[in-house]
Amino acid sequence: MSGRGDIEVDHLRREFGKFVAVDDVTFQVPRGEIFGWLGANGAGKSTTIRMLIGVLEPTGGDALVDGISVRKDPFGVKRRIGYMSQRFSLYPDLTVRQNMAFFGGAYGLSGKKLNDRIETVARDVDLTELLTAKTADLPGGTRQRVALGTSLLQEPGIVFLDEPTAGVDPVSRRMFWDLIRRISGQGTTVFVTTHHLDEAEECRRVGLMVDGKLVALDTPAALARDHVPGTIWRARAVGIQAAVPLLVGRPGVLDVQPFGSELHVRVDGLPKEMLDDWLRPRFPDLTLEQGRATLEDVFLAVVGHQEET
Amino acid sequence: MRFSPGRFFRRVMAMARKEVAHVRRDAGMLYLAIGMPLLLIFIFGFGVRFDADDLPVVVVDEDHSEQSDALIEALTASGDLEMVEMAEDEPAAELALRSNRAVGALIVPHGFGAIRQRGGTGEVQLLVDGTDGTIANMLLANTESLVLATSLREQRVMPAFAVSVSTRYNPAGESAMFLLPGTIAYVLALVSVLLTSLAVAREWERGSMEQLFATSVGTLEIVVGKLLPYLALGVLDVLLALALGALVFDLPIRGSLPMLALGSLLFIFGMLGQGLFISIITRSQMLATQLGALSAMLPSLLLSGFLFPTDNLPLLLRAVSVLIPARYLVALLRSVLLKGGGFLDVWQDLVGLLAFALVTVAASTASFKRRIA
Amino acid sequence: MIPFALVQLRALITKEFQQIAADPRLLRLLIAAPVIQLLIFGTAVNFEVDVVPTAIVDQDRTSTSRAHVDELMADGTLVRALDAAQPDDALAAMDHGDVAAVIVLPEGLDATRLRHRPAPIQIVLDGTDVRRSTVAASAASRYFAQVDAPPPAIRLVPRILSNPTLDTQPYMVPGLAAMVLVITTTLITAMGLAREREVGTLEQILVSPIRSPVLLTGKVLPYAAIGLLDTGLALGAGSLVFDVPMRGSLVFLAVATMLYLLSTLGAGLLVATVARTQQQAFMGGFFFMIPAILLSGNMTPVLAMPKWMVPVTYLNPLRWFIEILRANLLEGSGFRELWVHLVMLLLIGSTLFVTALLRFRTKLG
Repeated sequence: MSGRGDIEVDHLRREFGKFVAVDDVTFQVPRGEIFGWLGANGAGKSTTIRMLIGVLEPTGGDALVDGISVRKDPFGVKRRIGYMSQRFSLYPDLTVRQNMAFFGGAYGLSGKKLNDRIETVARDVDLTELLTAKTADLPGGTRQRVALGTSLLQEPGIVFLDEPTAGVDPVSRRMFWDLIRRISGQGTTVFVTTHHLDEAEECRRVGLMVDGKLVALDTPAALARDHVPGTIWRARAVGIQAAVPLLVGRPGVLDVQPFGSELHVRVDGLPKEMLDDWLRPRFPDLTLEQGRATLEDVFLAVVGHQEET
Repeated sequence: MRFSPGRFFRRVMAMARKEVAHVRRDAGMLYLAIGMPLLLIFIFGFGVRFDADDLPVVVVDEDHSEQSDALIEALTASGDLEMVEMAEDEPAAELALRSNRAVGALIVPHGFGAIRQRGGTGEVQLLVDGTDGTIANMLLANTESLVLATSLREQRVMPAFAVSVSTRYNPAGESAMFLLPGTIAYVLALVSVLLTSLAVAREWERGSMEQLFATSVGTLEIVVGKLLPYLALGVLDVLLALALGALVFDLPIRGSLPMLALGSLLFIFGMLGQGLFISIITRSQMLATQLGALSAMLPSLLLSGFLFPTDNLPLLLRAVSVLIPARYLVALLRSVLLKGGGFLDVWQDLVGLLAFALVTVAASTASFKRRIA
Repeated sequence: MIPFALVQLRALITKEFQQIAADPRLLRLLIAAPVIQLLIFGTAVNFEVDVVPTAIVDQDRTSTSRAHVDELMADGTLVRALDAAQPDDALAAMDHGDVAAVIVLPEGLDATRLRHRPAPIQIVLDGTDVRRSTVAASAASRYFAQVDAPPPAIRLVPRILSNPTLDTQPYMVPGLAAMVLVITTTLITAMGLAREREVGTLEQILVSPIRSPVLLTGKVLPYAAIGLLDTGLALGAGSLVFDVPMRGSLVFLAVATMLYLLSTLGAGLLVATVARTQQQAFMGGFFFMIPAILLSGNMTPVLAMPKWMVPVTYLNPLRWFIEILRANLLEGSGFRELWVHLVMLLLIGSTLFVTALLRFRTKLG
């Protein structure tokens, strides 16, 4: 890991004909950070990633990935990064080791160095005993781990993970995120996109794209604070969902959302006691806890706001 | 489970509808089904011929006499042989052959004129480039008959026999008439076997075949339902090829249309069954195409009588050719199209085609069942 | 330190061979099938029309007519398949496909001869097979022309170079090898790349630092090696089983084969840049292969094609390679005689390869 391990995006832009897919995007990611990149389908998420990994040429601006310009030296960028996508495809007819050896070779690894790296990475992603298994026989979650391990073979300073957990069961997803934290702990920058907003909470910082523009960028907590005003109370009681009509429209109540077996009540300066008074008579077993806005709330708020303007 | 024709038919149609949707989504398949007859009819109608005019020859006149001039004139005036250059001597002529400037060399040796003046038999030499035997044979036959005719003219003797030759079915002797009926069979063999084996192998690769087993659709229903749309494509190909043949090459249809239709249908069904069978045993598109090409493309070309008469095959291969369905369709098509054949002329071919269709559909149904079990 | 691109190339080639090894059926098909096809079809191709089933209508029924019939059949070209009393019976047999020629000997052969008039002989031929009717006509005419004739004025003395007995195999088998090779190399390359696209591994390679020339070379080299091996096996089998001579230099042959493979593999790659699925790749490969094979001059000579079609064959790599094979194996020709052919193969091959490369690049942008 000799490079700088950071990303500097400077007024990056990409047009397809008249359509502006990525519109003047600027941000930085420091070394070792887990950086989340969110947006609806068609918001320009993938286009941004494809420019950052040196596959698609920007039509404006530039980005330095590990200190290398994606414009001037896309192959230099490709050599220094790891990339794994939801569609990451391994050769199903080859074994895990053969797959790793091939992709390692694609990044210029060979001989003893290659073998050492395969062993190390296999240990890191808990695959040592599966190296001789045929890839086609592995379950989806395991295949994703092989894919992640493969993208780490050349010890990249930065890994780009494009929807890495799409279509993977929750248990495997949790294991996968443990791995991501471990990688980041070793000093590797992780640039990740995901559909699962609960996963994005794990990121140190999150960027949000709407219609080709970067509209918000901060830590999940700061985003919640800035974009979702008020306080959230998590109300829990038997049959609490029936309380929605009791609350909607009351002064000081901004929003009421059922959330699993809970009710999330967002209020504007309304004291907890008031809420308690309204609900306690109907729901004697009521508990009220202060909650925090999720990224989902942020996402809805930001997208909603963008659509209004 | 009791067999109910109504339900069988409904399920077959459901399968067929699904397959039609497949074909329609995949424009490439339609290109193949329509492009292939066009391409092949074009190639075999225009490009593949067994006779050549103007065979290029070098001439070496060592005699330089009136007689040698007359002979050279007589041999090269007809249009069968075309004199491309005069060479000094035999080595020069051989060089012309080796560098492919000519396919043969006519050499009139020294003393030819003198021998002829004495009334003796003059000899003219023909050097033949043997690297292409087809051309060599043509050159030999053409030159031989030219020399024979010239010789008879010079002798001015009454021949013992007056031979009159008449040619039936194809009096103009066009290669296209011989090749086009076979081309139809060849197109069908290619399109049917390759399309089905590819389409079904792809379903195996994607796993959608396994899903089909999970339903209660019967094996035979699956097999027949899968084949129906390709059968339609095959019929389309026959019509296209016949229309093209008639419009561009004046290919006649002199015999029984029902026999033509029946024979083609049986053949297509058999070839589709073969394609399905291949896809079931390979379950991989790459393997299926190789095996399809191996089992349909070359045998239908070489062992069917399409290009080479089956009578000419060595005994062992003649036995093999009995198993090649294209052989029967080629014979049937030639008979019906060119000779005006009817049921009595082609019933043996129909039996062969029927047998093949039954065997392949039965084989693919059986191997299907084994796959599911 | 090995250069970066070579490490990548080695990884690509290793992977390709591992994939082939993972499916032994494919390996068998790649190695064994060409040889087996060559053996079968090498036996099948036989242009000599040596048997024409013939119906005899002998209306003379004398010892003279019987003697003529026997002598006519003596060289074995015309084979007596039917004796018919009436011409109509013989023609019906021709309709049914039992005989391909009918020869009618009229009554009173001896009497006509005594009156010094030519006896009329009728020959009716089945014209569907042009070659066969030509052979039958010339066999019969030749016989009847020489009966009781004085020594001819002019006689043809043919001498055939390089394949004196004009056996079909020595000139057809090399061409068959070239045909079989095109099936293996073009189709497998086209479908191999399309399969990577279908499975998604191509996309993965494209985000890696493998440049497209390295990728395409790595995709092609393994099959070039297999093609070369196939050619060796095919020619070995050809010379062992079919007595195909090998009079030319093997080095020249290897160079020519590699240039030929450049164009068949290049065609496969070009198809692969257009095709999104294996099915499309197959069809594309097929539309290249069929005309290439049929208009190669192997089955029917280029000389017999219409004049306007001949220039089209200049674009056909198969045509040049077949001429090279024939000239090299049968005549021992080498660089001096065949350099034009090599240049043409190089031109066709590199054009295909470069076009494939360019298309491949632009399609990714």
